[in-house]
Amino acid sequence: MTSIGDKPLRVDDLLQRNVWDVDHRPHITVDTEKCRLCEAKPCITTCPAGCYILAGNKVVFSYEGCLECGACRLICPYNAVKWSYPLSGKGVQYRFS
Amino acid sequence: MQGLNRRFEVIVVGAGPAGLSAAYILAKKGFHVVLLERGRGVGSKQVFGGRVYSSLLERVFGSLGDAPIHRWVRRERLSIINGERMLTVEYISGGKYSFTTYLGQLASWMAGKAVEAGAIIVDEVRVDRILVEDNSVVGVESGGDTLKADVVVDAEGANRLLLEELGLVEKPRPSDMALGVKEVIKLGEEKIDERFGLRSGEGAAWILAGSVSAYTPGGGFIYTNKDSVSIGVVVSLESGGLVEEPYRLVESMRLNPLLKDIWREGDIIEYSAHLVPERSVRLIPSKLALNNFLVVGDAAGLLLNTGYTIRGVDYAAYSGYLAANAIVEAEEKYGSYSEEVLRRLYEERLKRSMVFRDIARHKAVEMIWENPTMIKQYAALLLDTLGGLYELGESTPSLRETFKNARRKNKVSLIRVMADLVHGVMKA
Amino acid sequence: MHIVVGVKWVPNTQAVRFDPHTGTLIREGVPSIVNPHDLHAVELALKLRERYGGRVTAVTMAPPGAVKGLEHIIGMGVDDAVLLSDRKYAGADTLATSYVIASAIKRMGDVDLIVFGQETIDSSTAHVPAQVASWLEAPYIYYVEEVEAIEDNRIRVRRRLEDLVEWYELEMPAVIAVLMHSQKPRPVRLIHKLRAVLEKPVETWSNEILRLDERCVGLKGSPTVVTKITWMPEVPRKQKIFKGEPKEAVNWLIRRLEEEKILPTCGADKCGEGD
Ligand SMILES: Cc1cc2nc3c(=O)[nH]c(=O)nc-3n(C[C@H](O)[C@H](O)[C@H](O)COP(=O)(O)OP(=O)(O)OC[C@H]3O[C@@H](n4cnc5c(N)ncnc54)[C@H](O)[C@@H]3O)c2cc1C
Ligand SMILES: Cc1cc2nc3c(=O)[nH]c(=O)nc-3n(C[C@H](O)[C@H](O)[C@H](O)COP(=O)(O)OP(=O)(O)OC[C@H]3O[C@@H](n4cnc5c(N)ncnc54)[C@H](O)[C@@H]3O)c2cc1C
Ligand code: SF4
Repeated sequence: MTSIGDKPLRVDDLLQRNVWDVDHRPHITVDTEKCRLCEAKPCITTCPAGCYILAGNKVVFSYEGCLECGACRLICPYNAVKWSYPLSGKGVQYRFS
Repeated sequence: MQGLNRRFEVIVVGAGPAGLSAAYILAKKGFHVVLLERGRGVGSKQVFGGRVYSSLLERVFGSLGDAPIHRWVRRERLSIINGERMLTVEYISGGKYSFTTYLGQLASWMAGKAVEAGAIIVDEVRVDRILVEDNSVVGVESGGDTLKADVVVDAEGANRLLLEELGLVEKPRPSDMALGVKEVIKLGEEKIDERFGLRSGEGAAWILAGSVSAYTPGGGFIYTNKDSVSIGVVVSLESGGLVEEPYRLVESMRLNPLLKDIWREGDIIEYSAHLVPERSVRLIPSKLALNNFLVVGDAAGLLLNTGYTIRGVDYAAYSGYLAANAIVEAEEKYGSYSEEVLRRLYEERLKRSMVFRDIARHKAVEMIWENPTMIKQYAALLLDTLGGLYELGESTPSLRETFKNARRKNKVSLIRVMADLVHGVMKA
Repeated sequence: MHIVVGVKWVPNTQAVRFDPHTGTLIREGVPSIVNPHDLHAVELALKLRERYGGRVTAVTMAPPGAVKGLEHIIGMGVDDAVLLSDRKYAGADTLATSYVIASAIKRMGDVDLIVFGQETIDSSTAHVPAQVASWLEAPYIYYVEEVEAIEDNRIRVRRRLEDLVEWYELEMPAVIAVLMHSQKPRPVRLIHKLRAVLEKPVETWSNEILRLDERCVGLKGSPTVVTKITWMPEVPRKQKIFKGEPKEAVNWLIRRLEEEKILPTCGADKCGEGD
């Protein structure tokens, strides 16, 4: 067995445990212009996949590690998130959940 | 296109327990039913905590003999963790009421039954819209293709994009929903038996509150599967964002000094996240049927989260079953799937069922469990009381004295405790 | 035009993790997928059918589970598929694989163009298309990104290399391998996927049908011997985050890389200031 150790894993290491078939088309797009107006930026601490990160005070979004939970769609106060599910069965492929 | 020559009587959207149960019953009754699922295969997009109650499921599927049952839950544990201290209540159950499994596996099993009965399952297809003409649902649209049918059953789950688009529900407020994050840790069957004190085939279900989820509303869960352990936290979404990133929460639960040795030498084999309808009562649509249209499962807000147990899978299956029976009866008796007929045959019966009454009844318990200051105060109060009883120096205080001291320390008045208790018990 | 597109059913290698204790791969629960590069071949084939008419048939040599993959590409719009499946075909190297595929194409008879992916994610030899072309004695071009039909049963193909683009004219039947990432594979569509499920346009050809000499297929027909496989150890990652202006960030990064001895020390602070 691979030892998982005594330190918290980074989110990327957690995501690596999963099977993915990532589409070349993003299923979520974020209008980051709107994020400039947003003080709270709740997406950063809410997304379980760390898809929203803060670079300086800009929100940077990447869809590749998305777990398709839908939390960001609800939490965004500025409706900046255009949200849908991936097509063709792509995206995360859960096996043991 | 040739594929479209075949006419379907029913389209079901979503191959979760709700949609699959509906498709199974309808196919068994001889309906031409097609189930559309966005994931690859059935179950690839499914996430839940870990335990399913069996009695409603048996009502829908008959024997669960060949179902992917990992372990029958024997040990029920409820813990409050406050820093380095933990209070656990354990109940050893005498019968077989619930079992652990992976939801994806259970859904595949249901899919097998549905296909055997004659249902057509089409995966890798995302439905984009419910089609409405002249005030009646006529089918669905996907990627510009349309597929028509006499009735559409919406079993899309907690994330109700289709229902919102249709205008039947509004986008929920964040605080109406919770986010569940989960790790599955492979450990091996014997280690699980040993470390949880289980006999072969027996399982444990364990709910944790307090500092495990940083006192955020919600809590932690641990379920034993056959050779793995599912651990996770369910936290309510707050409009300001969560206090701590969900992956940090679940990782600190995994590494909690009181728990981590349980899965020592284990390996994380999956990390997942999913929404849970939290305030069910607020999420149930004003109508569960429209002309030629029914809503079932999580999409209908039919989930019970009492704080010490989550029931969603069996409720979803049962609502799918009621919806299917309503369709059969509507066709036989009325030759119509009008809103009026479907609401009478489905919604009214559902609302009269135990499932629905339980959901309405439990909202008070949800409130206690959700109130973070209350959890924090009571956790401290309880643990200080017990600490006073067991962590002895020279004197041996009485229960009464330790309770009093603990109350003073945590600034909780006896009146408050009584009031909360009475409030909780009455509402429960 | 009758186009055959060859696809391989591969384990999703991204999900295969290595167990450093036992030195083996953890394959449990690893689902298979259509080799991602082959979806670009499918896309090009479908574009050609749209432009010139005809039919696209997918072919794969694989165990029966690969039907799921064939349904996926029928869902994208491929007309029908042939699964070459027989226990006797197991354990094939590229030579034995290409022999079975080429024999199947011969049996189909009326094929004009055979389109493959560039390589696979699980073995990536890029041998199979070239070998199929040899068995068929057909012309072969790889790294293809575009195809045009010209008169007299001929096609013009555009091939992209790192620093140049080439055009070739080929006589059909011809074999091409499509440059990875050169197309935008289309999504699965409801009507196509429904047809895949309802009409099951997938035929399985076993060796009862192909009747190939058993000495030329599967393990017996495979001269390649894999003598040893060693795995590269997983390199633990060191995450460091630097927050600040881009210019500072670059200098910081260069210093870190120097510290790690990945870059030779050059004194990044002074770079660009003129020596
Ligand atoms: C963290 C967590 C823990 C839980 N723990 C438990 C527990 O221990 N026990 C329990 O009984 N319940 C539990 N639940 C609740 C339970 O998972 C749900 O109540 C149950 O899965 C609901 O079933 P459903 O069929 O309504 O929806 P789902 O299971 O969500 O299924 C919906 C299906 O529809 C598909 N779909 C969605 N939109 C589309 C579309 N547009 N086109 C095509 N397909 C679509 C999805 O891919 C999915 O397969 C838990 C839930 C969570 C999130
Ligand atoms: C040195 C070596 C030894 C091997 N020995 C063995 C062995 O002993 N036993 C064993 O089981 N395997 C063995 N393999 C693996 C086996 O050779 C390959 O799985 C198979 O022949 C395809 O080769 P490839 O994956 O490199 O395909 P490539 O040549 O990289 O594939 C290029 C394209 O050809 C097409 N294609 C490839 N395979 C198929 C297929 N099966 N059906 C349809 N189209 C296809 C696809 O379009 C693909 O994109 C060996 C591989 C190597 C490199
Ligand atoms: S859907 Fe969930 S996992 Fe995906 S980006 Fe949004 S919050 Fe993150």
